[in-house]
Amino acid sequence: MEIRSMHFKANAATALANPVLQGNLRTSKGKFVDKRRAAIADFQAEGGDFEALREAGRDLRNRVLENLDLWLEKFESTATARGAAVLWAKDGAEICRHVIDIGKRHGVTKAVKSKSMLSEEAGLNQALEAAGIQPVETDLGEYILQINDNEPPSHIIAPVVHKGLDEVADLFARVHRKPRKTGIPELTREAREVLRSHFLTAEMGISGGNFLVAETGSVALVTNEGNGRMVTTLPRVHVVITGIEKVIPTLEDLALLLRLLPRSATGQHISNYVSLLTGVKQPDEHDGPEHLYFILVDNGRAGLVGSEFQDMLRCIRCGACMNHCPVYQTIGGHAYGWVYPGPMGSVLTPLYTGIENAIDLPHAATLCNQCGVVCPVKIPLPELLRKLREKQVEQRLRPLGERLALKAWAWVASKPKLYALGTRIGVRYLDWLAGGGKAIRVLGVVPAWTEGRDFPAPEGKTFRELYARRQKP
Amino acid sequence: MRIALFVTCLVDLMRPRIGFAAIRLLEAAGCEVVVPAGQTCCGQPAFNGGDRASAALLAKKVIAEFDGFEYVVAPSGSCADQIRNEYPGLLADDPEWHGRAVALASRVHELTDFLVNVARLDRVPGDFSGSITYHDSCTGLRSLGIKRQPRELLAKLPGVELREMPGAEECCGFGGTFSVKFGEVSAAIAEKKCANACFTGADVIVGGDLGCLLNIEGKLRRMGDETTRVLHVAEVLAGDR
Amino acid sequence: MSSRDDILGRVRAGIGRAPGNAAAGRTAIEATLAARRQGPRPAVADDLLASFKAKSEALATTVDIVDDQARVPAAVARYLAERSLPTEVVGWPALESQPWRDAGIAFAGRGAVDADLVGITGCHCAIAETATLMLLSGPDTPASVSLLPETHIAIVDASRIVPAMEDAWRLLRAEPGGLPRAVNFISGPSRTGDIEQTIVLGAHGPYRVHLVLVKSGEIDRLK
Repeated sequence: MEIRSMHFKANAATALANPVLQGNLRTSKGKFVDKRRAAIADFQAEGGDFEALREAGRDLRNRVLENLDLWLEKFESTATARGAAVLWAKDGAEICRHVIDIGKRHGVTKAVKSKSMLSEEAGLNQALEAAGIQPVETDLGEYILQINDNEPPSHIIAPVVHKGLDEVADLFARVHRKPRKTGIPELTREAREVLRSHFLTAEMGISGGNFLVAETGSVALVTNEGNGRMVTTLPRVHVVITGIEKVIPTLEDLALLLRLLPRSATGQHISNYVSLLTGVKQPDEHDGPEHLYFILVDNGRAGLVGSEFQDMLRCIRCGACMNHCPVYQTIGGHAYGWVYPGPMGSVLTPLYTGIENAIDLPHAATLCNQCGVVCPVKIPLPELLRKLREKQVEQRLRPLGERLALKAWAWVASKPKLYALGTRIGVRYLDWLAGGGKAIRVLGVVPAWTEGRDFPAPEGKTFRELYARRQKP
Repeated sequence: MRIALFVTCLVDLMRPRIGFAAIRLLEAAGCEVVVPAGQTCCGQPAFNGGDRASAALLAKKVIAEFDGFEYVVAPSGSCADQIRNEYPGLLADDPEWHGRAVALASRVHELTDFLVNVARLDRVPGDFSGSITYHDSCTGLRSLGIKRQPRELLAKLPGVELREMPGAEECCGFGGTFSVKFGEVSAAIAEKKCANACFTGADVIVGGDLGCLLNIEGKLRRMGDETTRVLHVAEVLAGDR
Repeated sequence: MSSRDDILGRVRAGIGRAPGNAAAGRTAIEATLAARRQGPRPAVADDLLASFKAKSEALATTVDIVDDQARVPAAVARYLAERSLPTEVVGWPALESQPWRDAGIAFAGRGAVDADLVGITGCHCAIAETATLMLLSGPDTPASVSLLPETHIAIVDASRIVPAMEDAWRLLRAEPGGLPRAVNFISGPSRTGDIEQTIVLGAHGPYRVHLVLVKSGEIDRLK
């Protein structure tokens, strides 16, 4: 996907001024946050220990990363033993090459897709179209985006959280050329009918993979709509595109992660459908793909192994971090400018696309840690964001004014007498700006503060000078 | 007990009365309070800004200055967290300073946590009367576990009626330099916090971190609310003098 | 260098893989696979059947309980009549030999096609923790039957209700046949919340899921 993260500030401003987006964000926040909380409360009421589960999830993911090379080799061997082909892709371009290659080999003219964020990273749909293969998104949210001129998703679980009902109704009426529907059930039914014919005629199904199970050589797909099952049952070719960090050891590990993922993502105890797919259709079977391909993708992931950012590879793509992030809740996902928004996107985008392409993202956070406390695998997101800020400082990517200001503050603060003098002058200046009133309306030194709020007036003297005065007999 | 007060740069500059209120409370708890004269800043702005070198410079200064006290108390969750939880890692490469940072860390407390869990303050000197709603500052809450402590102390004032706001634990949008780097987004988050706080109809919004309080107060006034007061929990507990 | 070698090479470099630790790594892998370590689990309900029924209904699945296998076709016929659903059904060949015709049901044992409106399956087992059916694909149990039709009816043997997914894996490993091409866990009718976070039932999979629970000789604990 084209990177637009360098326009974060402008995009954020646009988002703030968009009343429809603001309304949608308000409603969706309540739903995601409340549902997750309710699901965990239910779980606890049944004697479940969600905190212990989070720790177990973190430990499991860490254990895999310690021997990731061996786990990947294990998966490759168990998957191929069941008749799947395992391919490797260094980057997005290679993903596209592999898929097109497979498509041409099997005479594919249409491919139905269930959700794959990696295919977004790779810009796969455009590449397929250019190669004469028609891609059809079947996840309702992704489908809506596709027919809206390939608009990018704004959330990793709920891709059209930014859209209202009317927008979707207008879009369907225009593209499907049918009478405009007004209710969400009617729109959903219309999508079901339109997409059903595609499921039945596509030669290839493309999916992501929530987890790869090394023990059995299987892929686990976690979905609600049934499109994931359609895409992996009906067409004769199935291609799974997934990151190398998605491998897990056993079926028991899958059960553990399935207690964490749906609750954290949508507040469900389990997603409607969990499919564990292993190998190809047997000669006496009615359905299933005759050919199964796994594309194991790097695209930046291998580089995080053994680095100070390795913890980020634990991510199971639940979206809880962005649901609880005050910044995401205020500006939505598009402002982040790439595939992944919110806290996890602010960590991954600079790491996967280049730190200089996403300078603002690690700073567009208050480090409140609302994300970290809900992450099902306990990724210390604020710490990773801060480390990215450090990298920017090391690589001299921060604006000169900011670098000097921080250094100057530290220098002055290390010299008590100079600091005392500076703050005494500073506080009198602020007092003067307040003009005897209670607040400063325009704070020239940092206008960004006073654009949206006042700056309360200081008392007029510093604590240190007042205290020193009181200590004198 | 011989306590050093880490007054914090924001309190020093903007609201000295919070510092004096903290002293009054600590003395009411029977502590001898010392205010190291050369103190300035804990270094969090540099640390969060990614400038480790500057942050380490200030960390060493603080460690040296606050050596030799039984406890160090700060009327701020974020400053207490910086010294307690971040200094050791920041100085991990230097064994001597690392050791000193670890030794200091265990003695550092946020004010309300100190008063409840260490000093076990029985009665508070203040006499506040009115309705209050409490904002839980992020670092204090999530890094230091400050939640119950201020409420326990406020409950000791017979005249206080505590009303919990929706989203009390949600970020107010301050985030240090975030408030000026992304001023518009920050103000929009602050607006939600103010709406939640005002929803309770409380007379006063109270919190434990001055950065948050300046942010909330500034937004309230810009929204046209000149009557809701915004106070630090130390001020409410210590009363006027 | 192939992409595989490139990627694995960089992963190995990140881990610090060396001849010295490779053997230890392999041992660790094999030990993990053998251990099949389970994570923390919630408590098991006293009455699995009642718990399973209640949670199924919370997912908008309807549940009918019958005393024995012989009553299943009549129970299905009743359900279809109540909802004015067709009596032409597609179903698992594995269920073909049941007396469907006597109950007025035209049962075709094959994989489903788009025109099929009602699909009848059994299930390998059912998980009480989340009210989930576990279906295994196979020549006699095609996956399309529980996917394409608008209505999915599943016959569940009460003695095959297990507490959790870990127990389902244990059953699967213990029984002959091994891991099939598709294990489908189904928890209620298909749904989507993509438009305005409003849940709608019947996205691409079935609109409705109905269970006929057979208490095959088990003591009736549901009271």
